[in-house]
Amino acid sequence: MTVPVSADRIVGAGALLAAILAPFYLSSYWVGTLLTQMLFLGIVAASLIFLSAYGGMVSLAQVAVYGIAGFVLGNATTNGNTKGLNLGWSPWIGIVLGIVIAVAIGLLFGALASRSVGIYFLMITLTYSVIANLFFSQVTDLSGFGGISGIRAPNVIGNVEAHQNRLYYVALVTAFGVYLLLRYLVRTPFGLTLQGVRDDPVRMASLGYNVPLHRTVAFGFASLIAAIGGILFVWWNGHVDPASIDLGATIDVLVIAVLGGLYRLEGAWIGALLFVIVNNYSQRIGFIGDRFHTLIGAIFLAIVLVSPSGMIGLWERALSLFSGRRRGPLDRNPIEVGPAEPSV
Amino acid sequence: MAQAAALVVAEPILRLRGIGRRFGGLHAVRDVDLDVARGERRAILGPNGAGKTTLFNVISGDYPPTSGTIEFLGEDVTGLPPRTRAKLGMGRTYQKSRLFLGLSVEDNLYLAVLGVKSGHMRPVIVPARDRALRERARELTAAVGLEGREATLVGSLSHGEQRQLEVGMARAANPQLMMLDEPASGLSRGERVALTDLLLKLDPAITLILIEHDMDVALRVAQRVTMMHEGRVIVEGTPDEIRANQTVHDLYLGRGFQPDE
Repeated sequence: MTVPVSADRIVGAGALLAAILAPFYLSSYWVGTLLTQMLFLGIVAASLIFLSAYGGMVSLAQVAVYGIAGFVLGNATTNGNTKGLNLGWSPWIGIVLGIVIAVAIGLLFGALASRSVGIYFLMITLTYSVIANLFFSQVTDLSGFGGISGIRAPNVIGNVEAHQNRLYYVALVTAFGVYLLLRYLVRTPFGLTLQGVRDDPVRMASLGYNVPLHRTVAFGFASLIAAIGGILFVWWNGHVDPASIDLGATIDVLVIAVLGGLYRLEGAWIGALLFVIVNNYSQRIGFIGDRFHTLIGAIFLAIVLVSPSGMIGLWERALSLFSGRRRGPLDRNPIEVGPAEPSV
Repeated sequence: MAQAAALVVAEPILRLRGIGRRFGGLHAVRDVDLDVARGERRAILGPNGAGKTTLFNVISGDYPPTSGTIEFLGEDVTGLPPRTRAKLGMGRTYQKSRLFLGLSVEDNLYLAVLGVKSGHMRPVIVPARDRALRERARELTAAVGLEGREATLVGSLSHGEQRQLEVGMARAANPQLMMLDEPASGLSRGERVALTDLLLKLDPAITLILIEHDMDVALRVAQRVTMMHEGRVIVEGTPDEIRANQTVHDLYLGRGFQPDE
């Protein structure tokens, strides 16, 4: 790589250390509310960046999949006083079931969208997100408008309100694990094949690859990551309702990914941190108050105009100024929805 | 001439019968019959728009034909997708390079080697399995003259280097039939000579079909030449016959062409 790896590594290690020590120097509000939220939103955004940066697929369905995992967990584990099936099963069964069902539906979604590219892929995945939102609003046996309340984390984590640091550390370990897994995966035959599909699906087909199948499996894998984020979200929130996965939430995750930088995994958590802080503190500024989306929209516009590759792009630009080197063709535009030509 | 006759008698590796391909009202290829013998070097010539590249796309499976049948190694492959044809032993290059610009030279060739093998979905790095693939990829890097550029991103290669890599991508899987679509386009004179040498040194067991506008390359490499015009095959013969053919002169070579040059 042209960028000095050491600078990236040092900053990365510093950020990780700061995150590990956060409960010792930040208020419990910061740790329990802001940083935990940043971690699971970052996981969902990372599933989008993985698809976009390595598979050339900009998906709007990641929040739908994250919601499916959350609703399944809610239905499976609550007991008694809320909407849904109230099956009252162990939280561990809930986790497994939530992830398995979310991945199964992700594979189905992926299979249906796998022959589309560019703006068509974006529209199909937007449809999935709308379907999921309406499904849980209208099927009152599973949720209904008010959603499922009182979803509890496993005993290891305990009451999230009382032990905020426990959920924070679980989310931190999970997020770091997801990051390392994705970093590793893109160097494996599966990951290299996915990048080949991103760069030229026609060539991949003539080399002997099954392009739609590969896209489908990658979409299923990204669903696994999004589902993990959904489980953490539901534990953190204790509640899930259709508004958690509405169009606004869908766009929030896209905004996070673009703010951070849609072509590098680290961007997911950088974007999530900015988003969470702005979301939280803008409410306190009198004249902004409820106009959070106007503010984040303005910030979005400013960042995209100044640095099309997001905050991570600003960082890389600073590094290259410092070292006098320029980045190569990886300096992509933020929303590269690809060519409109139909592929194989 | 005896050798040419023997080629026709031998079981063809590729047999096209009545191949046609329309794009709406445009009849890009019509009623093409073509037999290519095993080990043959065949050039396909024709002016722009003659249907040469469309014919390639139909043979490789990128487009299905609207009529006719394709037999490869004695098997009807007309309805098979490109990936299956690649696994049966077809390899091709593209007129405009189709490379993985965001990956390194070695990773491009690695993917070209892996394509016809199993393990596309393998989510772990197994050094024992990857070593052979990586070695083959590096061997190919050297074979197409890109030694030392293994780690370079393909997007930052020059046009000529990308054309060299394009040929390497087609060779990677050891295809029985290799189809090169204008491999010399955009190359300098020196690069063309190097390319011709590379093609002449190719394993004689590999069958080669070549689309090429550069006569120096095409007529030196080819044993037989097929001339297309407006989607049809109009002449087929040895390079000498093609040089002497008046129709070919009028259509393609122009009046200034001197056969004995």
